[in-house]
Amino acid sequence: MATDSDSESEVFEITDFTTASEWERFVSRVEEVLNDWKLIGNSAGNFSPEKGAYTSGTWGEKSQDIHFADFKFCITHYFLIQECEKDDEKDKFEEDTFPLAIQDLMCMNNDFPPRAHCLVRWYGIREFVVITPGSNCEAIISESKCNLLLSSISISLANSGCQIPMLVQVQQKWRRMYAGECQGQGVRTDFEMVHLRKVPSQYYHVSGLLDIFKSKIGCPLSSLPQVNIAIRFTYILQDWQQHSWPQQPPDFDTLLGGEVGGVEFGKLPFGACEEPVSELHLATTWPHLTEGIVVDNDVYSDLDPLQAPHWSVKVRTAENPQCLLGDLLTEFFKLCCRKESIEEILGKGLTEDEGKEINDIGSALSKLTEPATTVPISKMSVANMVHSARKHIRRHRRIDESPLNTDVLNSVLLYLFPDAAVERTPENSKNKTAQANSCGKMEQDKNSDYNLFLQLKSAPIDSLTYRLALCVCLVNYYHGGLRAVAHLWQEFVLELRYRWENNYLICGLAGGPPDLRCCLLHQKLQMINCCIERKKARDEARKVLEGSEKKVSRMSSGYLKSLSVPESATVMSTGSISTKEVSPGKSWDSWSDSEDEFFECLSDQGESEAPPADEEKDGSKSKAEGRLHPYNNMTLLNSSEPLYVPITQEPAPMTEDLLEEQSEVLAKLGTSAEGSHLRARMQSACLLSDMESFKAANPGCVLEDFVRWYSPRDYVEEEVVHKKDNTVLKGKLSARMMIPGNMWVEAWQTARVTPARRQRRLFDDTKEAEKVLHYLTMQKPADLTCHLLPCIIHSTILKLKEEESVEDIPSIKKNIQQAICQASKLLHPTIQDYKKLEDFINQLIAMETVITQARSLKAKFSISESEKRDDTDELKKFVTSLLEDPEVEVIGAGQGSTGRIIYRLFINAQKAALLTPKDEDFVHDRKTTGANNRVPDFPSPAGREILLRARVPRPAPYSKPLPQRLFCVLMREEFRLAGAFSSDTSFF
Amino acid sequence: MEEDILTTLKILIIGESGVGKSSLLLRFTDDTFDPEQAATIGVDFKVKTISVDGNKAKLAIWDTAGQERFRTLTPSYYRGAQGVILVYDVTRRETFTKLDNWLNELETYCTRNDLVKMLVGNKIDKENHELDRAEGLKFARKHSMLFIEASAKTRDGVQCAFEELVEKIIQTPGLWQNENHGRGVQLTDEDAGGGTCGGYCSLV
Repeated sequence: MATDSDSESEVFEITDFTTASEWERFVSRVEEVLNDWKLIGNSAGNFSPEKGAYTSGTWGEKSQDIHFADFKFCITHYFLIQECEKDDEKDKFEEDTFPLAIQDLMCMNNDFPPRAHCLVRWYGIREFVVITPGSNCEAIISESKCNLLLSSISISLANSGCQIPMLVQVQQKWRRMYAGECQGQGVRTDFEMVHLRKVPSQYYHVSGLLDIFKSKIGCPLSSLPQVNIAIRFTYILQDWQQHSWPQQPPDFDTLLGGEVGGVEFGKLPFGACEEPVSELHLATTWPHLTEGIVVDNDVYSDLDPLQAPHWSVKVRTAENPQCLLGDLLTEFFKLCCRKESIEEILGKGLTEDEGKEINDIGSALSKLTEPATTVPISKMSVANMVHSARKHIRRHRRIDESPLNTDVLNSVLLYLFPDAAVERTPENSKNKTAQANSCGKMEQDKNSDYNLFLQLKSAPIDSLTYRLALCVCLVNYYHGGLRAVAHLWQEFVLELRYRWENNYLICGLAGGPPDLRCCLLHQKLQMINCCIERKKARDEARKVLEGSEKKVSRMSSGYLKSLSVPESATVMSTGSISTKEVSPGKSWDSWSDSEDEFFECLSDQGESEAPPADEEKDGSKSKAEGRLHPYNNMTLLNSSEPLYVPITQEPAPMTEDLLEEQSEVLAKLGTSAEGSHLRARMQSACLLSDMESFKAANPGCVLEDFVRWYSPRDYVEEEVVHKKDNTVLKGKLSARMMIPGNMWVEAWQTARVTPARRQRRLFDDTKEAEKVLHYLTMQKPADLTCHLLPCIIHSTILKLKEEESVEDIPSIKKNIQQAICQASKLLHPTIQDYKKLEDFINQLIAMETVITQARSLKAKFSISESEKRDDTDELKKFVTSLLEDPEVEVIGAGQGSTGRIIYRLFINAQKAALLTPKDEDFVHDRKTTGANNRVPDFPSPAGREILLRARVPRPAPYSKPLPQRLFCVLMREEFRLAGAFSSDTSFF
Repeated sequence: MEEDILTTLKILIIGESGVGKSSLLLRFTDDTFDPEQAATIGVDFKVKTISVDGNKAKLAIWDTAGQERFRTLTPSYYRGAQGVILVYDVTRRETFTKLDNWLNELETYCTRNDLVKMLVGNKIDKENHELDRAEGLKFARKHSMLFIEASAKTRDGVQCAFEELVEKIIQTPGLWQNENHGRGVQLTDEDAGGGTCGGYCSLV
């Protein structure tokens, strides 16, 4: 209409819409929508949809709101998305072919589609438009309103020339009543429907329905053309009898009691606690029958399901069946949202009783060890942290009123710290730890999933962190939830402290510095181990060096105090500063906690004799100390002594949060020259320490010697021709090393002659260990959960993989791979997205459910790995398709091997049902049971669908023969007739 | 000013000692050259904002010491880098042959495996080349890196190197966005096919 006014604007013709009624506006609005969606024009074609296309193809849907006065409707276009039909074919179709929808009425390729819109099922059409009342609007119930709507669409269709069927939904929504029509090529098809709650007895069988069909058509011919009949009976099996769900829920009480012990803590539970497959639907179909062939009336029926030519099965799965792994995960994840701290959960009593007791010692200690002004750890917390070895005695006292049962706690701790079982002599623990570590490594290498922990940023399988995650998860689920988790965590941290204080390495962690690829908690635990290792080495060295050494160390501590240049130089390597504490002028003493602690190397002891008590000047012959090995046969420049590589201090191990902190500090210094200089200073501790060690190992050395070892390219050698024609290699420092006042020279001048073992520690293990332990103590259960989440997801994925490999379900295999990719994205960022994680966990749970369904079905169809029969493969395929496809055909129907198993399932269920007649509802079915006193093999069908089709001229004998169709649904509480009756609009 | 910055990128510069890492950086950030640039201790840090294709990016560039001993210290700072510049000296073959070690180091300490790598052959202003362009190209191709020859002294290629690297990073999806807008994995294809009509999908 808009275009009209454009082209004829010069005519000054006025198009007046002002008188249009609401009804007219509605009609034109519908036309507009049809125009917009390009649904107008000839839809005819010659092709009929392929067999099964309605199920395998994809359906499209488009919708829009339209108004009738102030009443809102929703108009929706449903269509099967088809591949582009060939153009040449389109050209060929004859003038008078019916619209596609009318042809579809007769097409037999897609009767009873397993999953489709109900209108597709009832009318067999592949494309249609539906108008439904808006979501918040009342239904169209009165007859006049219905008729108004129907006439509106009739006019719209006629005006627009749309050949797609259009239907309106009338009556209450739940009744799914539709009416409508389709027009085109001189044919009109009316879609009509009857819906009742009870099936009238005369229509309970095919013959009665045929009567309705015939009378509705009102055939003008003397002999009615043959009616084509398709029938489907659906039987439901709910009672699985002896094939009931084989898995018993585990006995939670005995699971971890006594004899089973801690072994179970290594395993996640798996499987459904209830039957995950609730129903089996067997559809028996007679796809091609004609009126005369089959007899089905009130006294006799030919329709024996066992003889039906076509069987298909679908299963209905229980909605969210309770599955063990899923529950475990959900409960664990819920902990993330708890805000309580350990103290709030366990009460003051449990956390503080020992704190009070040793409070005095604690504060005394902190006075001794902490320069309280600069160390961020409060005195009180230090008191809390300091823990005596007496805790084991105390533990017994407390345990009675504690949330976690003593036996469980002990078995968990034993599982986490297996070396605790062996008596702890230092030797013993060392061997054991070494063993445990190497053992773990071997396994990891073998495991093809080894790299998974890298992707998920969790921790290696069987590492302490990983096992802790499993324990926390299980303790949360089975042994008391949040309180138990808090208790376990408290005990865990106490054990760590015990180990730190008594020099027992923590087993189950790879040695070396924290692995930054693992989760932070794992790094922290590794850090404690680093500290223990250093402390142990120091203590052992000290034992050996007892006596004479003592005196000297005291003296050298005096030197160290007088040393002024490095200032904040050690800061970086102790890794203990927080951002605001960077103040370059500050004396470095303030960063230290213990003046008397030195880096003492064990390997030093061999050559350690009482070192000279007096300071000697550089270059003088003094006793060399702390040599590692000669360096490349080089000799010192100023003497013939070989150049030795010194024993050096190892750099400080770091966890990622420390690194982050330090990068920030370094970055904060800015980009100015001073900033750069300060940065270099802060990082020169290591250089200075190496220089001191070098000087001690190479008495009489010069900076050039040091550079030759440390940065060989900064020592430039040139051939210099002497007077006497013999060339001599002459070396000198590179230009950049000779810049006056550069840091290398400066550091060299500052460096004392001190072997590594007597240097100030670059890495203050005492402080670092306390920091980590403090950090761990402060973690709330929710924090702990977040720390451990990657490990739990890691082990869940492994568990799913393991269980899937038993069942071999391709779709799950694919999903697991996708899940790994997704997890690696979700778990890496520092801020975890709670909502996304929750969705992700639900996906994992869904996989568990599918696996349990497969397991249940295999049990029901007697597939077992042990006894392989010749039909096993066929059955396996059948079960796999049941999980993936909406409906699966039973090969050989009732006569095939699968069919026989299904038949037996029904017989067993029937026997059981009739032995205990409790369901009165069965009585209303007309049963032959009473007559021959025999248990019927099948229950009465839950649903019967009967489809009647004929090509009959209407309304006059000389009209074109047109498709007529009646689809009947008979269920216990529903009787529905969906009819599509066509009539000739040209010849009537 | 700050608002129109698209993103902040972390870039690393690594390579053997004395190849001119700090000089390259200084040329890029301050457009200066000091033949007596002091040897870096540990790591150093510079910031520069550049505009590539109309996108402003703030670069936090971490310069590292090349000495063997510092390698226990510096890799800690590799974390989270989106781009890395590997530098060698075209007049010293051994700085080129050691590149494999540096790549290994990157592999071990980098938190992401999709970071963009650029190979820079420095000091092309000098005369006594021990390596020609082809060798650098070959190495870069083998390890899927960007490649350029440059001279911090004469400015050649320096600006270009950083710009190319940033452009590449910005083009790499998921490398620099803070949020990953990844779609969830579709685990079930239920409800995908077939229209729904009040949840009704089958007879019963």
